Formats: sequence, C-alpha cells, structure tokens
Amino acid sequence: MCFNSFFFLFFFMLINFFFFVYFIMNGLSVFFEWEIISFNSMSIVMSILLDWMSLLFMMFVSLISSVVIFYSKSYMNSELNLNRFIILVLMFVFSMVLLIISPNLISILLGWDGLGLISYCLVIYYQNLKSYNAGMLTALSNRIGDVMILMIICWVMNYGSWNYIFYFDFMKNDYVMFIISFMIIIAAMTKSAQIPFSSWLPAAMAAPTPVSALVHSSTLVTAGVYLLIRFNYLLIDMFFFKVLLFLSILTMFMSGISANYEFDLKKIIALSTLSQLGLMMSILSLGFPDIAFFHLLTHAMFKALLFMCAGVIIHMMNDIQDIRYMGGLSLYIPLTSLCLNISNLSLCGIPFLSGFYSKDLILEMVSFNSFNLMVFILFYLSTGLTVFYTFRLIMYVMINDFNLMMIYNLYDEDYIMLNSMFVLLFMSLLSGSFLSWFIFSYPYMIYLPFNLKLMVIYVSILGSILGFMVSNMGIYSLNKLLLSYNLSSFLCLMWFMPNLSTYGLSYIYLNFSQILFKNIDMGWSEIYSGKGIFNILKNYSVFYNIYQMNNFKIYLFSFILWFMILFIFFFI
Amino acid sequence: MLTNNNSNKMFFLFILFFSTLISISSNSWFGCWIGLEINLLSFIPLISNSKNLLSVETSLKYFLTQSLASINFLFMILIKFSLLKNFDMNNIISIMMNSSLLMKMGSAPFHFWFPNIVEGLSWMNNFMLMTWQKISPMILLSYYFNKNFLIFMIIMNLIIGSLGGLNQTSLRKLLAFSSINNLGWMIFSIMISENLWLFYFLIYSMMIFMMISLFFLMNMYFMNQLFINNMNFFIKLNLLINFLSLGGLPPFMGFMPKWIIINFLLINKFYFLTFIFMMTSLIIIYYYIRIIYSSFMFNYFKMKWVNLLMKNNMSLINLSSFISISSMILSTFIFM
Repeated sequence: MCFNSFFFLFFFMLINFFFFVYFIMNGLSVFFEWEIISFNSMSIVMSILLDWMSLLFMMFVSLISSVVIFYSKSYMNSELNLNRFIILVLMFVFSMVLLIISPNLISILLGWDGLGLISYCLVIYYQNLKSYNAGMLTALSNRIGDVMILMIICWVMNYGSWNYIFYFDFMKNDYVMFIISFMIIIAAMTKSAQIPFSSWLPAAMAAPTPVSALVHSSTLVTAGVYLLIRFNYLLIDMFFFKVLLFLSILTMFMSGISANYEFDLKKIIALSTLSQLGLMMSILSLGFPDIAFFHLLTHAMFKALLFMCAGVIIHMMNDIQDIRYMGGLSLYIPLTSLCLNISNLSLCGIPFLSGFYSKDLILEMVSFNSFNLMVFILFYLSTGLTVFYTFRLIMYVMINDFNLMMIYNLYDEDYIMLNSMFVLLFMSLLSGSFLSWFIFSYPYMIYLPFNLKLMVIYVSILGSILGFMVSNMGIYSLNKLLLSYNLSSFLCLMWFMPNLSTYGLSYIYLNFSQILFKNIDMGWSEIYSGKGIFNILKNYSVFYNIYQMNNFKIYLFSFILWFMILFIFFFI
Repeated sequence: MLTNNNSNKMFFLFILFFSTLISISSNSWFGCWIGLEINLLSFIPLISNSKNLLSVETSLKYFLTQSLASINFLFMILIKFSLLKNFDMNNIISIMMNSSLLMKMGSAPFHFWFPNIVEGLSWMNNFMLMTWQKISPMILLSYYFNKNFLIFMIIMNLIIGSLGGLNQTSLRKLLAFSSINNLGWMIFSIMISENLWLFYFLIYSMMIFMMISLFFLMNMYFMNQLFINNMNFFIKLNLLINFLSLGGLPPFMGFMPKWIIINFLLINKFYFLTFIFMMTSLIIIYYYIRIIYSSFMFNYFKMKWVNLLMKNNMSLINLSSFISISSMILSTFIFM
C-alpha cells in the first residue's frame, strides 16, 4: 500500500508540475464547471479552478505527502494497522486538494471540514490519554473555523451563488462583505493557529511524526493562509486585516520566545512552525499575498524535512523526544545530521538556501515600505529569535557532549527514510531560487541603506551567539530559569494562553455539571420519576391485592349490596 | 361427564356457540336472558373435571357468580317491563342492568372472581373464557347502556387491570388482569359503534389465541417456568412479538385497534380519558416486558440440563409471528 500511494502521488506531482509550468508560462487559468442537477430555479454545480497558484500548491502537497508516505513505510513498520494509517493520510491529501482547487465555498467547506476531522483521527492515532486530549483540543479549535465558514456560506447566499471569486470586484464595500471578511479572518486564524487559538499546535505533536511532517508543517496549517490569499482582494483595505497583522506578529514573537524554553524536540519544531506561520500571516496582512505564498511553499519544504529528521532521531533515541538526553549526534549520524543542518539553516535564512529567498524578501519589503516601529522591531526580533532557538537546538542535539542513555541505537543506514529525506533536501536547497524565478515575473524594487540591509545579518549573528551561549550547560551550571521563575514560566508556557482553551473553558462547566448530576440526575429526578413512581405503583398493587385475595362470599355479597343501594335510590 | 372424551366437549362447545348466537340475535330481552343461561349451563361441563379438586371448585365459583348475575339481569328485565313502559336511557334500571352484565363479563368493580377462576382453568378453557364468553354480555351492553356509568367503569377497569397485574407471578392471572384492562378498551369501543368493537375484539382474540397457544404448547403456567426450559430462538422471538403486540407497540398488530380507539376518543373530546388509557397502557407494557426481557438479551438465563426441542408446530409459531408483524402493513393493501 505504501509503495502504490507513493508512486501515485509522485506521478500526480509530476503532472501538476508540468501543468504548472505550462499555465504560468502562458498565463492560463482554467475553470471547470459540472452541473450535477438543475431543477426549476435551483442548480447544484461543482466547480474547479485551476490556475498557477493552485497547481503549484498541489504539486508541493503531493510531493510532500508522497515522500511522507514512503518515509512512514519504515517509520511505522511495527504498526499493525498500517493500511489504516495510509488510508487516513490519503484522505487527508484528498481533502487538501479539494480545498486547493475550489473556487466555491461549499467545496472549501468540504475540504476544510475534512481536514479538521482527519487531522483529529491522525492526532489520536496512538491511543493514550495525552493523544486523546491533544486530539480534542485540535478538533475543537478547528471546529470554530468550521463554524465560521458555515456562517460565511449563510451570508454569501445574499449574492446568489457560492462562487466567491466573482464577487470581489463588484461588492467590495458592502456591509455583507464586511461581515464575511471578519469571519474569514477568524476561520483562517483558527486553522493557522494565530494568537487566541494557538494552543492546539504544540499539543498536536502527540501525533506520529509522519503526520506532523505532512499535516502540521505544510498542509493543514497553511490552509488558513491559502484561504486568505484567495480572499486577498476582498480583505486588502478592511479594518480586520490590521487586527490580523497585530495578532500575527505577536504570534510570531511569542512562539519564538517560547521555543527557547522548550526541551521537547517536536514542540520546538512546532513552535518554530507557529512562528513562521505568524510571519506568513503578517506579510499577507501587510498586503503582499504572493510573497506570503512563496514563503508558504519554501517553508513547507524545509519544515517537512526538519520533522522527518526529528523522527529519525527519535527512533534512534528509543522514542525519547527530550533534547537534554541527546548530544553529539553529528559525529555518529552524518547523513541525518546533514539534512537537519540544511533545513535548520534554511529556516534561519542563511544566504542562498531556499529559506533565504523568501525570508529575506519579506524582511526587505518590511523595511522598504514604511510601517510603524512596532512592526519593524517585532519582525527583526523574531528573526533573531528564530536563529536563537535554531542554534540552541543544534547545540543541544548535535554538538554538545553525548549524554549516554542506557539504550540507544544510532542507526543511520535506514535508506527508506534517508531517501525520502534526500528528495526534500534537494527541494529544500533549490526550491527557493526555482520558485522565485517562476512566480515573480519581475523582481520587487527595493532600495535600502547599507545598515538596514545588513540588519538581518546583525540580528542573525546576535541570535546565534546567544544560542551558543545559552546551551553551554555543564554539571555545575546554575539553573538560571529558577532565578526569574515568574517571568520564565510566563514566557515558556506560551504566555498562559493554552489555559484559555483548556482550563478556562472546561473547569466551570464541569464543576457545575457535577452539581447538577448529583442533585438532579441521581437525586430528585429519581424520586419524581423513575424509582419513585415505581415504588408508588408497587405499593398500590400490594394494597390492591389485599382486596383481591378475599373470601368468595364477600364478593357475592358486595354485589348484592350494590344492588340494594341502587334500589334504595330508585325507590326514593 | 363420567368420561372426559372429546365428543362430550364437542357437544357442549356446539351448544356454547349456539347460545351466544341466541343471545345476540333475539328480539326481546327474555331471549337474551335465555341465551345467557344456556351459555352458563354449557360452559360448566367444559371446565369441570371431577378428578381434579381445583377445577371442581373453580366451576362452582363460576356457577355461583354467573347465576347471581343472571338472576339480577332477569329481575331487572322484569322490573323494566312492568314498571317502566317508556324507553328511557339514562335511568337507574340501565345502571342495574349494566352492572349485572358487567359482572357476567368480569369487569371491574365486579371482577374479583375473574382472576381466581382463571387460576383454576387450563389454557384452552381460559381462552374460551377470555374471548368467547365476552361476546354476548358486550352486545347486550350495547343495547341499553348508561354513558356516564360506563365511563366510570372503563376507568376502573383500566386502573385495576394495570395495577393488579404488577404483583403477579402466575401467567394466567397476568393474562386475566390484561383481559380486564382490554375490557376497558372494548367497553369504550362498544359505546362508539358495534363495528368498531368487532374490529377490536377480533384482533384481541387473535392475539390472545397466539399467546395462549404458545403457553399451551410449552405447558407453562408460571413466570419462573419461562426461564427453566431452553427455548430456541423462534419461540423467544414469537413470545417477544406477541407480548409487545398485546401491549400495543407500533409496528405490531396490536397497535392498530388501540390507535383507532384513541382516534375516536379524541374526536369525541374525551381528553382526560385518553390520558388514563395511555398511562395504564404503559404500566401494562411494563409488566409484559418484565416477563420477556431476559429472553431477548444476548446473555439470557439458561439451564444446562434441559433441552426443549420443538419438532412440530413450528409453522404455527412462524405464522403467528409473521401475522403480528406484518398486519399493519398488509391491512393497508386490503383497503386500497
């Protein structure tokens, strides 16, 4: 099953690539429409929009999913129900493709809901309590977005059809479009885990690593960004876009800080994903949808690669994800550490890897156009924080001394996993330049003073030095986290926002429902229905039997008595 | 009656049928009374069996109650003829005539003999008692009834039929109380129209027949006997379906007459009476389900050393289950 789906998705990727090149070179865009049923004045139509953006995104999604399925052949080879896992992944890819190609809100809803449900199934795949809780958090946070899209469908019915693409030019200043823009921004924020809804993304790391590589790095979380890119014409001068800017740069900043305090390997990568998502959302809300799309695609490449390397390392460390138990791995697993290094450096924006093209372009656009000081500071600070946690991760995992665990298995020759990582390595090296040559038909005009241009490098160097210094831990080092305990706990627990989604919502209601259950369900309603009525009926029946089991003559005599009474009434 | 062979029974059975027909189709009240007496006289030899002390006592009790009721009936007829020349429905005479007929039927509040006697009869005699013996008193009731008195009697029937059966373990007494409850429905139906009563009565007697024949074949008289023998699946299914049908649950046959009677209740604006019909029906279903619930669960009570095999008469059981389930749907084909 793994091989079949891998080949199918790989050839699907090649077909998409071919059509993408053809469409973008000739400026084509195709709109299919299939009328399923038409009755009097109502018609149900299925439409598919293929332009270069959807073909390119489909190509990337199918590439990553084919590689991930091939990788999971070896990663999950001890799984009994591997077919079930592969089928879930394939259904996920199908929902994502449906979301990408649809110009129509109903099929977007189908893809969106499918994504939410299947990601729930995949997060709870290992059936323990932590996965169940994580899955519940994921599913319910995504559900808010689903509700928003349902309400948008309801509001868009004002215009007569659900093909939103046609209405942007004509209806921009309508009150209805104002409401729709508000709701679509909230829907995208739940899916892409921006600030009020950001607690599910680190929690969803309870999923198996191939799932994290596919879902939580490149496809599910970018669905929100993709939706906003499609709706960009509508949103571009709305008020809520500025709110989105504010929240997304805060997300970027917060997750960058929290990643520095984390010690779980997958959570660091998850928070890194969250930070890059904030970056994508913020550059989108500044008005540059194509740069956001570009960063989405390059980020997908190296983040998926990073997750897969993390999966290899977790397998080698006997399923331990804590980086304090790892160290010095660069000496022992050269090929995996090659992939890990290249993806990490691409994440930081080291020149001429793929991440550089998108990140540097973003930062230069932020510097070139005049935005306010907070935007500027937080962008550069978050870039520095990215380098900070990346270098900290590299120091802990690969450079410091080997923390000898009792059981380890440094096996680097698993060529199934390595070959899949090499495909993504190749793409992660080259996709930056390749995409920039395709997507941008003319370069952006940027004219910056010297120090502002080098600001990126200054911040990166500062971040790397800090990352190196923080990870110099020895046996006699003082635990500085305890010195600033309040501030540290605030910063490392994602500014206490997960409590909004978990304790804050459930504690009051669970308390109240316990009171209700004890007093009413197991209390008064047993007396007034249920047991109480049964007791009453039983007592009546016992009482009746006293009259039933009686002397026979009394029955006959009572009959005569009745007649005598009636006679007396008759004759008076 | 010294020997107990079938030719005796056939003879008295024939006279029993004939007596009811006399009673129904007579021109005067006197003829009705004659029919009732012949009914009594021909039923007694059917149920008495001189070798069994219990059945002798039962037939004696039956004779006493029925003859008392018949005497009263005759007396009321004579008073009506002699004292009241006019045909006045809402009168005490009608109450007294109705009371004696109700005692003949075994309806509340004159029903106290009924569970006792039912306890002493065999299943087939019970079947006769519960179905055929109700025909002539019912129809005579429809000739001269007092509406308010009968509605009060209906309510008493329903309540006693439901509450009395809660504390029983003998299957015969259970069916007796269920019969008292169904008498309530039937008295109401005869107040509406005789056709409606016929409909209810036919379906009720068919259901009772299926149930009693099942108990007769398995030779079961008490509730604990249900669990002692190993019934195979179809017998349990049949038991389940028939009991639920008797209780009036929708897809089965027994729902239809109750539904139609509720329809007439609501048309005639008997709202509170409808409520009492519903609630007592619920209690009755409770004790039916109490009998059969262990038979349709996956983990049912089973004895290891008794193996009951039904080799013949399976066709009867399958046919009765089929009729109970499909009657509602098939009846729509009849009237198309």
